[in-house]
Amino acid sequence: MLNTGIRTAAMVAAATFVGLAATPGAVQAQSCTVKIGAVLPTSVDWGRPIAKTAQFAVEVANKAGGVNGCKVEMVLRDTQVQAKVGVDAAKSMVALDKVPVILGAVSSGVSMPILTSVTVPAGVMQMSCCSSSTSFTRHAAAGKTKGLWFRTFATSRVQTSMGAMVAKEKGYKKMAIFYKNDDWGQDMVKLVAADLKSVGIEVTATIPINDGQPSYRAEVTKALKNKPDALYLALYPKEGTAVVREWISLGGTKRMVVANSLKSDDFRKGVGFKYLGDVVGTDTSSPRTKSASAFVEAYKARFKKEPNGPGLANSYDATMVVLLAMQAAGKGAGGAAIAAKVAAVTDPNGTPVEANADGFKKASALLKAGKTVSYQGATGAVQFDRNGDVSAPAVVWSFTNTGVKEIRFISLKEVNAFIAKLK
Amino acid sequence: MTGVVSYLVFFLTIASILAIAVLGLNLHWGNTGLFNGGIAAFFGMGAYMTIILGGTPQTGQFGGFGLVYPMALVGGICASGLLAWIVGVATLKLRHDYLAIATFGVAVAFESFVRNTEWLTGGAKGLRGFERPLEAMIGDPFVFNLCFFVFVLAVLVVVYFGLGRLIRSPYGRLLRAIREDEDAAQSLGKNPAKVRLASFITGSMILGASGGLYATFYAFVSPDDVLPILTFQIWAMLIVGGAGNNKGALLGAFVIWAAWTASGWVLARVAPVEMQLYTGTMQYILIGLVIVGMLLLRPQGLLPERLVISQSGSGTARRSVQST
Amino acid sequence: MIQALLDGILVGSVVALGAIGLTMIMHLLRFANFSHAELLSIGAYAALVFDGIFAAVLPASKAAVGSLSLTWALFLAIIAAMVLTGLSAIVIDRLVFKRIRETAGPLSMVFASFGVALIIRSGLSLVFGLKTRLYSDDIVFAVTISTNPQLLIKPDQVFVFCAAVLIMLVLHLVLSRTTFGWALRAVAENPALAQVAGVRLSTVVSVTWVVGGALAGAAGVFHALDNQVSPMIGHNFVLAVFAATIVGGIGSVYGAVIGGFLVGIAFGLALVIMPPGYSPAMPFLIILAVLFIRPQGIFGEQR
Repeated sequence: MLNTGIRTAAMVAAATFVGLAATPGAVQAQSCTVKIGAVLPTSVDWGRPIAKTAQFAVEVANKAGGVNGCKVEMVLRDTQVQAKVGVDAAKSMVALDKVPVILGAVSSGVSMPILTSVTVPAGVMQMSCCSSSTSFTRHAAAGKTKGLWFRTFATSRVQTSMGAMVAKEKGYKKMAIFYKNDDWGQDMVKLVAADLKSVGIEVTATIPINDGQPSYRAEVTKALKNKPDALYLALYPKEGTAVVREWISLGGTKRMVVANSLKSDDFRKGVGFKYLGDVVGTDTSSPRTKSASAFVEAYKARFKKEPNGPGLANSYDATMVVLLAMQAAGKGAGGAAIAAKVAAVTDPNGTPVEANADGFKKASALLKAGKTVSYQGATGAVQFDRNGDVSAPAVVWSFTNTGVKEIRFISLKEVNAFIAKLK
Repeated sequence: MTGVVSYLVFFLTIASILAIAVLGLNLHWGNTGLFNGGIAAFFGMGAYMTIILGGTPQTGQFGGFGLVYPMALVGGICASGLLAWIVGVATLKLRHDYLAIATFGVAVAFESFVRNTEWLTGGAKGLRGFERPLEAMIGDPFVFNLCFFVFVLAVLVVVYFGLGRLIRSPYGRLLRAIREDEDAAQSLGKNPAKVRLASFITGSMILGASGGLYATFYAFVSPDDVLPILTFQIWAMLIVGGAGNNKGALLGAFVIWAAWTASGWVLARVAPVEMQLYTGTMQYILIGLVIVGMLLLRPQGLLPERLVISQSGSGTARRSVQST
Repeated sequence: MIQALLDGILVGSVVALGAIGLTMIMHLLRFANFSHAELLSIGAYAALVFDGIFAAVLPASKAAVGSLSLTWALFLAIIAAMVLTGLSAIVIDRLVFKRIRETAGPLSMVFASFGVALIIRSGLSLVFGLKTRLYSDDIVFAVTISTNPQLLIKPDQVFVFCAAVLIMLVLHLVLSRTTFGWALRAVAENPALAQVAGVRLSTVVSVTWVVGGALAGAAGVFHALDNQVSPMIGHNFVLAVFAATIVGGIGSVYGAVIGGFLVGIAFGLALVIMPPGYSPAMPFLIILAVLFIRPQGIFGEQR
């Protein structure tokens, strides 16, 4: 019985191996392909659109002629929001597909182990659209990322300080905070509570919302107790919809200040626009040039709806910056060389280029000629500091019947000035 | 070719770390008949304690005692043992489905605790700042991975042969006696409760060792590493490999982890671009099918326990089961 | 505090419906079925589909029932969903569990049930997408039934509670007054003796699956009515439903009902007693407490 068991297992393994080795790769239409890796949570509701937008960016680049004359192929794998699964996927891409760059992950708990055990040791660049933990800043500051780590996720401080500013202007005196009980939410609540207090608003309750609970009634009841004037929400659309519907049906106020995670069609449709009239949100933004809407227009043309949802704009910019940097670094460049060229792609003194196929084509030509460009992305004129973090100007928005509209634009200078005043 | 070798070393390291955990579970279930539904808690305790004891100091965060690595790992193992002692004293007298739920509850409480007690465990953002042992000295990442793999393999070998000796020893016979006929064992003056507790603690310490090695390899741990899916994966490895059987436990670990990772790899390779977004969900279906399929086709596991008829007394054969 | 109790009772009615089927199966077939909770998801989605069909075929049924957000179409859909879920339960048993039952032990069935749960959940995500849906876009406002202390209740929740209690009452009548009900209880208590008395075991098992499945399907729709339809409903209820079964005692329908309400109340009280963020751990603390005081559960048999 011992032998049959082992024999069965061995035969299955051998058959699989032979079968896989014999599978031909995708037939190439162009003469060459260049691969990038993407490790994203495609099996989770908020993760799939993020991966879709990254794929869209690759499409746009290929339409503009690809990178260094080669077609870009994105190897996409699911992390299942588990560290060991995501890390294994990243390792297989680095070792077997030989990708020089990895996009990923979304959850900080997956991005960090990939960084420590796969990308940094292998000299592969890692760009995350959405990992929000402050740990990465500290990790980079301690010199552990060797300049290979970047993220297009604007630091939460911009959102929370602008949220506090808007709340103060609206005259709210008491607010309750609902936050998602993950690394992003825990970070947000600390910053928001401090910022609200700094502008003189009383925080009556800070309620963590755990994923996957059958009912949030108890949490909502608790927040209702001290009758806040308004709510601050640091939630994603799924639990945001559940919490807000419960809140409104129990007679809670419809006045809310929300983070950019709720700038989402799913949230708007789930709650219903008729209840969202008094909701004001913050987001990071593109500067006020005509190229700012390039991403939105391109996205609308392709998918027939606005890119509203957590992480979509960040995902697009992450992918585009990576592809432009690869263009600048030349054919066959490794992770470190590509990382070194990120500055050439996001040079504030460089030629501004739009976030669409035309912009990509223009940028490729300039970069090939050795010039620098300033990529005007969906999240702004992307610029990374030495820890791979970005700061950006802010925008205040509200819901419309069909999407969102911007109410106000706040330049990076004003944002920083306000933050300095809060201290 | 070097890429394939590099990936294989990486893959085998994780598979071996998980195999150590499966051996610990086998001591609980296969040898002592304890249905441990809270593997994640003991694994997690080892992981967190190793990082807390061995990590570099971080501002505003408890821990970072910077102990030399072997001490940090041993500290993690002992912390798991301590947790097992507390949990065991409280729950081992429960009937086994109830024990499963109670231990599951302990794991849920543990995850809740590490997610919310930010000053002690880093909260949802986890604990970083751990220097992988000798990484700076070795320099070359491939050589480091190879050395670490050898280290993990050494721990696996020690645990495997150690458990083998334990099972064949008088203590092992005592465990089997209690599993088969508790009253008889008690009538001979043995204390089943104490023996079960000792076995529970030892198995949990092995789980803690696995957790410690896991955290060391990734130089990071977060609440997402101690979710119920981990408990399910370790159990699946034991069941598919052959419960009650250390060789089966090892085989199960490698087979299940290979299936888990290969399913993702295969889907990413063969799926057309339009389907790429759905491969994650399809991977879950594949994994579910592999497990159900294995159980339909070979429910006793790949390497089932060998049944041994011990000496028959006055006409009735009493069967005892010997694990390999 | 009273509000927390009220909310808990309402959540508890859903948990109770889900737990009834689980406790019967766990007792008859002696395995912990981790895929039972996925039947809630199947019920919720089935109702979504049937609601769409009925609303399209009979436009008049789109009208809401009284002041609820429930429409007549959805009301009919609930019944259809219960039937479909009951049938799904028995199909799954025939395809997977029966075969494993015949060749291997209970532990293999537990593991197979994990695999089945994964397949159901992922299957629903593939077919319906990962995004959540709603039966009705309107938000129904809660009614204040008392101002001091402040007590609010939503009409939908009253409906869910009444419907759940009605279903449980019908089940009680069947169990205590019909021949079939006695046969079921006989098999639960002593299968061998029941078979000697002429009860067909396989029929009883089949009916248990169908009834348990139908109740779980109803629970799923009731939950989604007050929340959202999502592929993760089953996953979110697994622990609560198991907790209810354990607390009530495996094999006792009345125990499952009481256990369900206790677990629901535990969720409601969690925030009153514990620091926020720890609420997922609350049901288990209750279980641990019950298991210390009475390890076999409230109505379970002494072992």
